[in-house]
Amino acid sequence: MKVLQVIVEALRSMAANRLRTALTMLGIVIGIASVVLMLALGDTMQRFIKKEMQMLGTNMVYVFPGGDRTQAQRMRSGAAPSLTVADAIALNRLPSLSGAAPALQGNFKLAAGNETAANLVHGITPAMFKIRNWKIDQGSMFTDDDVRAASRMVVIGQKVADQFFYRQDPLGRYLRIENVAFQVIGVLQGEGRQLDGDDLSEMVLVPITAARAYMVRGPFPDNVHYIAAQGKSDGMLDDAIEDMKETLRDRHRIKFEEPDDFKMQNMATFAATAGKISAGIAALLGLIGGISLVVGGIGIMNIMLVSVTERTREIGIRMAIGARPRDILLQFLVEAVMICLAGAAVGIAIAAAGAAAITAAAEFDVKVGLSAVLVACGFATAVGVFFGFYPARRASRLLPVDCLRHE
Amino acid sequence: MAAVLGNTLIDIRAVTKSYVSGSVETPVLFGVDLRVERGDFIAVMGQSGSGKSTLMNILGCLDQASGGDYFLDGADTRSLSRPQLAAIRNRTIGFVFQSFNLIKRMSVAENVALPLIYAGVARGRALAKAKQELERVGLGELGKRTPNQLSGGQQQRVAIARALVGDPPLILADEPTGNLDTQTSDDIMRGLQTLNRERGITIVLVTHEPDIAAWSRRLVRLKDGRVLYDGPAGEGLRQLAASHEQAAAGSPA
Repeated sequence: MKVLQVIVEALRSMAANRLRTALTMLGIVIGIASVVLMLALGDTMQRFIKKEMQMLGTNMVYVFPGGDRTQAQRMRSGAAPSLTVADAIALNRLPSLSGAAPALQGNFKLAAGNETAANLVHGITPAMFKIRNWKIDQGSMFTDDDVRAASRMVVIGQKVADQFFYRQDPLGRYLRIENVAFQVIGVLQGEGRQLDGDDLSEMVLVPITAARAYMVRGPFPDNVHYIAAQGKSDGMLDDAIEDMKETLRDRHRIKFEEPDDFKMQNMATFAATAGKISAGIAALLGLIGGISLVVGGIGIMNIMLVSVTERTREIGIRMAIGARPRDILLQFLVEAVMICLAGAAVGIAIAAAGAAAITAAAEFDVKVGLSAVLVACGFATAVGVFFGFYPARRASRLLPVDCLRHE
Repeated sequence: MAAVLGNTLIDIRAVTKSYVSGSVETPVLFGVDLRVERGDFIAVMGQSGSGKSTLMNILGCLDQASGGDYFLDGADTRSLSRPQLAAIRNRTIGFVFQSFNLIKRMSVAENVALPLIYAGVARGRALAKAKQELERVGLGELGKRTPNQLSGGQQQRVAIARALVGDPPLILADEPTGNLDTQTSDDIMRGLQTLNRERGITIVLVTHEPDIAAWSRRLVRLKDGRVLYDGPAGEGLRQLAASHEQAAAGSPA
């Protein structure tokens, strides 16, 4: 019996019981939608992490003050209360690092013309541009001389430029930060949230000394909020982190058995965390998908068994006019697989709609790829064959005389 | 044993059949012998419970005999596998049933084409042959309809077209006129007679109506699972009528 004929008959049988077919499909629809969305999200996360790693470099290390020590412990050991510019200078000299730069940060009031907004402002040195691989789109970045002079200069991201200087050339204009006028000398290239949480287009960068003088005032003028460092090569990062730890503990006079008074984070850790989160989401979707497919498959098996009983007489007629057991088997098996594939088609459509919704809502570009579609069709076929086989075999083993007697 | 003469289509020897339900065995056929030559037209008669339907199912390879031998067109059917039996039903036998047994979801043409499709003929060619066969039974224009849209007589003619589409040497008709009025029954029987005379197709007909059995050449009467009469139809029907009169006269009514 020709495959075409079997498919035509399966479609006709599905069309004859539209509501039943649709309800039977439901489990497969949910299962396949979950599986496809899982694959699409996993793929998107992987692409995102890969892109970020390329942009930021996996050999970035951030050092933050604090750590597990309490203020009391810090005071007892007589250590400096936090990270300082001197720590950054010491780290910068480490041979396993290609550079280390200190930074201040805080949320401050920005204003230009009638526009005001609060925004995160980073006080940095030119070395930070190199370490974080930042590029200038227009204008220039400030220099070490500007840092020494605590010049009131600012480099801003695209979004900030659009917000405060809409359709105007921002270069040379003034942005007031905490009511101090800073001249815009450059616009940063790029946009989109990075793995470390910063959005390039929302950056406001000033010389660290200017930040100290006009924004961040406190009892410890040498303190910095974080130090960004870059290891020489990916493979040596563990050694570099060890060196940094040793240097900082030494400088902070931390005793052997006492914990660090700083925290270190590197991009590989960020990536691993992001990877874990996406793997968690994927696993959840995979679990939902798997359960739905199994439940849906059982539903299909149930309906196929009902269908075999309902069509017993038809099976008898077919056998009487020459259908072999395997023709009957094929007919019911193909019907089960077709129900699954139809369910898969709907599921893929729902997943694609879901991906479009996520793309619109979040800043991730989620796409349903060809491989996900193929995997979904593979799963659907497998479910159809697995759960359709028993009813189909049962139909094929019926005796023609019994079937014809069936009412 | 397998030496079957070329002209013998059906050769049944000492066939028995009993149904087993749990530990209870119910015998239905007690050693039936029957030979049918090619081109013959036989009616099998008997009251319900006589075993005529069981014999028909065995003849049609829809059921297997419990004992004895059954050669059909030279093949020892008792040694055949299920796929081989399916092939025999497909190529050697055309079935006509009392309840027509058309598949309701399919069009008339597709119903007629189905035996060819199971024989491996491509869909297009099978449908073309089905159309020819429908024209032969005078229903050429109704191919696109579904069976429900046809009258009983038309449905039975579709079933006959389906039985003939694979050019089988044998037609097994099980009470083919049981659901039809007298006029239509005569049309159907005339059609079967024409097939027998003009195309040389062997016909085995099961019926309980003497009027229908009268269309055949030869009559086989079954009673309680045994052959009661096997001979010319005219003589057999006269005997049957006589026995009925006797029974009527003897009854204390």
